[in-house]
Order: sequence, then C-alpha cells, then structure tokens
Amino acid sequence: MDEFQEILQDFLVESFELVEKLDEDLVELESNPEDLELLNGIFRVAHTVKGASSFLNFDVLTHLTHHMEDVLNRARHGELTITPDVMDVILESVDLMKALLEKIRDTSSDDGIDVSACVARLDKITGGSGEVETPVAVAPVVEEETPATDTADEDEIDYDSMSPEEVEAEIERLLSERQEEDRKKREAKIAAGEAVPEMPKAEDEEESKEEPKEEAPKKAAPAPTPAPTVQKQTKKEEPKAAAPAKKAPAQVEQTIRVDVKRLDHLMNLIGELVLAKNRLIKINDDVEERYEGEEFLEELNQVVSIVSLVTTDLQIAVMKTRMLPIGKVFNKFPRMIRDLSRELNKKIELVISGEDTELDKSIVEEIGDPLVHIIRNSCDHGIESPEERVAKGKPETGTIALKAYNEGNQIVIQIDDDGKGLDPEMLKNKSLEKGIITEKEADSMSDKEAYTLIFRPGFSTAAQVTNVSGRGVGMDVVKTNIEKLNGMIDIDSEVGKGTSMKLKIPLTLAIIQALLVGVQEEYYAIPLASVLETVRISKDEIYTVEGKSVMRLRDEVLSLVHIGDIFEVERILDASEHAYVVVLGLGTSKLGLIVDTLVGQEEIVIKSLGDYLKGIEGIAGATIRGDGGVTLIVDVVALMDIAKNVKVSALSEDQNSAVSKEKTKPSDYVVMIVDDSKTDRLIMRKALEPMGITLVEAGDGQEALNILKAGDYNFDAMLIDIEMPRMDGYSLASEIKKYNRYKNLPLIAVTSRTSKSDRMRGVESGMVEYITKPYSADYLASVVQRNVNFKSEFL
Amino acid sequence: MSDKLKDIINKQNEQQESVVEQLDDVVQLVGFMIGDEEYAVPILSIQEIIKPFSWTRVPQVPGYVMGVFNLRGAVIPLIDLRAKFGLQTKKQGEDTRFIVMRHGDDVAGFVIDRLTMAIRIKKENIGPAPDTTNSDDTIIDGVGKQADKIITILKVNKLLERDF
Repeated sequence: MDEFQEILQDFLVESFELVEKLDEDLVELESNPEDLELLNGIFRVAHTVKGASSFLNFDVLTHLTHHMEDVLNRARHGELTITPDVMDVILESVDLMKALLEKIRDTSSDDGIDVSACVARLDKITGGSGEVETPVAVAPVVEEETPATDTADEDEIDYDSMSPEEVEAEIERLLSERQEEDRKKREAKIAAGEAVPEMPKAEDEEESKEEPKEEAPKKAAPAPTPAPTVQKQTKKEEPKAAAPAKKAPAQVEQTIRVDVKRLDHLMNLIGELVLAKNRLIKINDDVEERYEGEEFLEELNQVVSIVSLVTTDLQIAVMKTRMLPIGKVFNKFPRMIRDLSRELNKKIELVISGEDTELDKSIVEEIGDPLVHIIRNSCDHGIESPEERVAKGKPETGTIALKAYNEGNQIVIQIDDDGKGLDPEMLKNKSLEKGIITEKEADSMSDKEAYTLIFRPGFSTAAQVTNVSGRGVGMDVVKTNIEKLNGMIDIDSEVGKGTSMKLKIPLTLAIIQALLVGVQEEYYAIPLASVLETVRISKDEIYTVEGKSVMRLRDEVLSLVHIGDIFEVERILDASEHAYVVVLGLGTSKLGLIVDTLVGQEEIVIKSLGDYLKGIEGIAGATIRGDGGVTLIVDVVALMDIAKNVKVSALSEDQNSAVSKEKTKPSDYVVMIVDDSKTDRLIMRKALEPMGITLVEAGDGQEALNILKAGDYNFDAMLIDIEMPRMDGYSLASEIKKYNRYKNLPLIAVTSRTSKSDRMRGVESGMVEYITKPYSADYLASVVQRNVNFKSEFL
Repeated sequence: MSDKLKDIINKQNEQQESVVEQLDDVVQLVGFMIGDEEYAVPILSIQEIIKPFSWTRVPQVPGYVMGVFNLRGAVIPLIDLRAKFGLQTKKQGEDTRFIVMRHGDDVAGFVIDRLTMAIRIKKENIGPAPDTTNSDDTIIDGVGKQADKIITILKVNKLLERDF
C-alpha cells in the first residue's frame, strides 16, 4: 500500500504541474488555434494523465481525460477546429480534471465528482465530426426517440435491463439535453446582462442524476462509497461554482490594469503610514522608558510590533504591485545583439539569465538606456573579431552574459563579456591624450580607478568611430543614469579574458533604507544603498595630502571630507577624539564622510523640498523622523562633486576662538557665578568683588548655558553650585565641556555636598576644583585667582 | 404664509446681494508686524497661522531661509521676513508666529513678529505701490490707507517665488 501511496504522490505532483501548464497553454491556444506545437503539448498532458490514472484505477478521471484526449487528438489532426465553444468545453474539462485531482489528493479516490455532463459535451464535439470512437460512452446525440420529458422514475425499471454502457449513454443523453436547455437559459440571461452563477445547473444535474447514479455505481467508481446526497451535492458544487469564474475569464481577469497614478498614490499613502509607524515606535520607546515594568506596556509593545510588522508587509506588497520583471528590458537585447553582430561582422552570443528578477517600474524604465550602451560597448570594444579570437585561442563566438539577481536590498545587473578586456595602461594613455586626467593623476591611479575612466565624458576607446559607438557620450550617460537611480557601477576586467560590469540598483525609490548620522546638533540621512561601510577612527589616523584629508583603509587610500564642511555646519560642540567615517560608494568612486555620531539605520520616506528649495547642492530631499522633526537626505552624487572642492582639513584643530586677550586690568577677568540661592550668589560676589574682576550671575544651569551660548562674555572661570533646579551643576559642566570654546574653561564646584562620590562625579563631569560650603572669602578668592591665572601685579 | 415665505426669500436675496456687493469692493487682509512696519496679505492666501516650533536648517541658502519644517507630514520652507526685509534678526518671542501662505502649489511658512488683526479694506482705499519701486519686481502689491495708518500689502506670489 505504501508503494501505491508513493506512486500516487508522484502522480499527483506531476499531474498538478501539467495541469498548471495546461491552463496557460490553452489560453495561448485560443489566440493561436493553428499552433500545432501547443496542441501537441496539451494533448500529451491529457494523454499522460489518462495513462497514469488508468494505471492507478481512477476510472472517473480516466474517463474524463480519455474524452479530452479524443477531442484534442482530432484537433491536432486537423479534423476539428478549436472554436471558442470547443475551447469552453475543454477548459471546463480541465477544471473538472483539477477538481478530480484535488479530490484524489484529499481522499485518495476520485469518487463523487460528476464528470458525465462534461464528457457528454466533449463527446458531442467528437460526435459532431462524424466518428464516435469512444468505447465507454456512446453519445447518441442525434437520437431523439426518448422524449426529453421522461423522468428518471418512469424509466427506473428499464434501466435494470440495460447494459451498463447503455445506462451510461442514456444518462448522458438526458444530461446533455438538460444542460443544453440550461445553457440556453443562461446565455439568455447573460445576454440580458445578468451575472448568473452556474450553481443551479449543478443542482439540476444532481436531481436528474440522483437515481441513475445508484444504478450504475460499478461503472462510476471502483470503490463505491454511497455518500449521502447532501454531502455529494456540496462537493459537487465546489468545482462547479469555481468553474464559471475560471472558464472564460481565465484569459482576462487574472491581471488587472491599474493606472500608475493610483499605484503612486497608494505608495504615497504607505509612505505616510511608514512615517506614522516610525513615530509610533519612537513614542513606544519613550513610554517604555518612563513606565518601566508596567503591565500595559506589554500590550502596547505587542500592538506596536504588529502595526510595524503589518506596515512593513503592506509596504512590500504595494512595492510589489509596482514591480516589473526586468525581462521586459532584457527582451530587446537578443535582437539587438543579432543586428550588431551582423553589422560588426562578429560572432556574438547573448546569454540571458534572471529575467524574472523584479524591479520598480520607474527603474525598469530608466535602466534600458544604460544597458543598451553597455551592451553596445561590449559588442563594439569588448568582443574581438572572429579571426582575432581564433588567433588568441578563444572560441570563435564571443559571449555576452546578461544576468540579473537580488542581493540584499539591491538588484544587481551583471554584464560579462569574454572579449579583450580593459587595459589600464591604455586607458590612462588615452585619457592623458585627451586631457581628461593629468600625468600625476595617471601615476597615482589604481587599475580599478583606471577602468572608471571609460565613464568620463569625452572618452572613447574605439580607435575608429563606428556607427555603433565611439561618439564618446555613451558610457558617460550610463554613469549619470545609474547614479540618478542611486545605483553603483562596479567594473572588473582582465586583459585578454574579458570585462565584467555590475550595476547595483536599489529596489525602489520612494521609501529607502538610510543611515542616520549626526554632526554637531544636526542630523542627516544617507541612503544606505550608497554606504559601503562605516569605520571608527581616531584623529591621528587622518593624514593631510595637498590640503585634503585622507586615510588608509586597509590597502586603499580614501579621501575624506567632513560633513560639516559640506553643509556649513557651525562647529559649536567639541569634536571628540574619535570620529566615524562613513565610506560612500557610488558607481566606482569612493569617499569617506566624517561624521560625529552614527545614529542608526532607519526606513525613510523621501519627500521633496518643494519648488522653493529645490536644487540645493548635496541635498536630495527631506524626510520626517519619528519625533516629527525634518531630516535632510544627503545626495551622494552631488556630495562627491562638492567634496572635490572642499579643501578644509576635516578635523584640523581650529584655533580656540576664545583666545583670551591680554588682560590689562582686573575687570578684564570675567567669572560667572551659578547658584540658585540669591544669598549664596551674594556671598560669592562679596568674596570676589575686592579683586575687581567682572562678575556675571545665573540662577540655574539652563540660564548659565544660555549666557554662554549668547557669547557676550569671554569667561575665565565659572563657580557652579551643584544642586539647582532645571539643570544641576553636573549636567551643566558636562554640557559646557561639549563646546569647543569652553573646553578649557575652569569650572569650580561650590557646594555643600561633601561626600566622596559627589567629588568623584564632579571630576567626571569636568570640574577642576571642589569647594565645600562654608568657605572663607579668602579661600574662594585664592582658588579663583589660581584658576584664572590672575596676574600678581593686579593684587 | 406664502407671503411670509416670499418676504423671507426676498430678504435673503437682498442680503446675498449686499454680500456680493461687499465682496466686490472690499478686500479682506490679515495684518502683521515686522519690525515697526505693518504689512498685510490677502486672507485667502493664508493657509494657516501657527505658533513657532522647531525647524531644520538647510545648507547653502540665503540667510533669510531658515530651513524647513514639518507641517502635518509636508516639508515646508521657512522664511524669516525680518531677514528678508533687511532687518536685524530678533529672537523669537511670545508673539512670534509662522504664517503659512499658499499660492497655487507653492507653500511656505513666514516668520513674523506679531499678528495685528484681520482687516476689511475698501478697494478704493488701496493705492498703488510707490513709484520708486520697480513695478514688476516689487513684492508690494499696494498701500492700504486706514484712518490712522497705512498698511503695506504684499504680493503672496512674489513672496513665494524663489529669488536665489
């Protein structure tokens, strides 16, 4: 029995595959009725299923497929033309076949599905052609002796005396008549514009079928299971009900044409949703922090994660509706290659793979031109003439392989040729000749950089300008177009072996993954597709060459630029010892972008800055973050251009702007007193006034910070109380230390807190002295004098 | 009964006519202060007036473009009218407002010192912009005369036009 099961499984798998294919083929057949190849294929499917099912004793299925085979066989021999009517019946039988297969899969038996109606119709088709060869069911359609009004009850006794074949035939005759009637009614209704489900027919059939079915069970099923009528009925209805939906519309309604605008609108809405989701996540984090351990948190967490999950799925789903297989673009290349190879007298074969890879519609539209240029280029400059190839010991026919595949969030389109490859030296010489690069640049150029020369405007390697290429614009266009899509180009080549070009393109344009970086108090989003890696470096790893910052990254030299220099960020905060370098890759060029902090990866929705602000160099748009703030998105293409002209050394210590001027009198010294108690401030004032220095007072940390920010004074020292409202002394001290200007400002804690841990905290936050209350006026004065380097002549 | 109805309808018609009449020769403006001057823009060109909130600086733009801000999901430029009119920038205070103006598809927020009021002004009381200003380039639409003062009426489309 196990063996039988195994065979059955194989049979089912095979049959389902065949039937799947059958559907497509049939649809194709209708538009192409003369296609013998197709017809043969369909015939073989019916034949195969028939063979296997008879072997497995599925008589009903065999019965059905046999008749299908019959009809198809006639069609294939040209004895029958496939009219839409015939096709309807065939499609119906295919549906029945599917239903039977499903039934077999579920119950291991093909009992309980009525195929006779369909078989009758199939038979009618073959019968109509004159010959009826079917041994099982003879369909005497012409015969009209028995009046159609005959009920099954009346004929009951007669059936007993009939041979099984005769019973079958009689049933079929009755049915086909009945069906004919129903069909006419239905058609009339359809013509009247009504949607008519085919269900009633199934019931009608059931009624008329009920009795005779019991009479001829040996015929219908090998293992008769007299199931109750009701159950049968429902079972029967299923495939029948499905049939009308699939029959004719199978050709039309599996796809719906949708206006791209609607999809765009949908995409926009999803964008809003993604923003709201980000916001929700952010709020959830905040709430989590504030109400740690509360029970409702878990529930909130669940909701948030479901919302975020569904949003992501939704986004992907909508993105997919916009996806087109790249095959749409690839399709035109075989012809192009054929034409080109004739024109150039070369033998070229194009191998395409991965044409099912899907890309956003807008990208598919943009990608065509660059690919045409690259492939033309490969044909013209890459692949050698047949003689040359033979001389080099290569096969006469050159191969260009066009391949598309997914890689993470990107699509990679790879174009390989086995032509002569790129010669870096030749490229350099050529560029020198044309004045594209200087001698110096040529010397310092790596092979990989040399390959990218072909993307420079005005470069053409063809010795002779041909019709195909050599106008020196093509590859330049490629680069711009790919960069427009936020894509990258990677070239690899070996002289004599061939060239391989990889275009890496993000899946979609509207919603992207971005790396958020911080510089001073600002944030920027960098499209993740252009980020190769991030590196943490210390300042002494940065070298300056010709006024430009560079660093060594493994075995490469990477030029660096500070994001603050590009976006004119005011440098208020002190740059720490360490910085992060975001290595950007675009096409073939690389650049290290120095940032202060890395915030993380986030999904962002690109929004335009509008007409008023469009075209700002280096900014591709903006996005709204989880906290409702706007973050600008870096335009990596433009950034690379700007970076060439930025000479400022990135992390150069700018001279402390608060260079203390020469003090000529005691009042040149400025000290801030920060204390929330007016009395305490007064005490300090009294202690310090005798020195003659200028005193500024602040009531709390926040106020002190604002005074510092305003920059009206150049402070020499600050006296800070620890316990204050709004912002305490420790926080104030650490805030102050963030600012470049005040890095070296002496901060003196004046407090009644005396414990060791308080002192430790003071030191940690950057305090240099720790005076405990109460103190003597002289002591305070001396500490201040020491810290501001009070000149002794003023004493 | 029907007489009453007629009366009412007649009255309504009269009212409507008078409203139409009003609309015809009365301009509704919103006045605001920038520095010591009072300016006004047509009320219909104002999308909304909001209290200041945080914005994001945008690089490589003139000083009067403060940046962009998030107005319910839309990214909108923010322009400081003080700076644009060549006045010293001032800290934003209690009375500072962002006026979001719209002309066609162009939208921008403008920072003003203080709102004054909604003004109805008869068309006949609006004079042309002073001759000294170049008629095409000026952002001044006209000068509204009121009992005790004059108000400069600005062209919203000019305000929203990028000029850098």
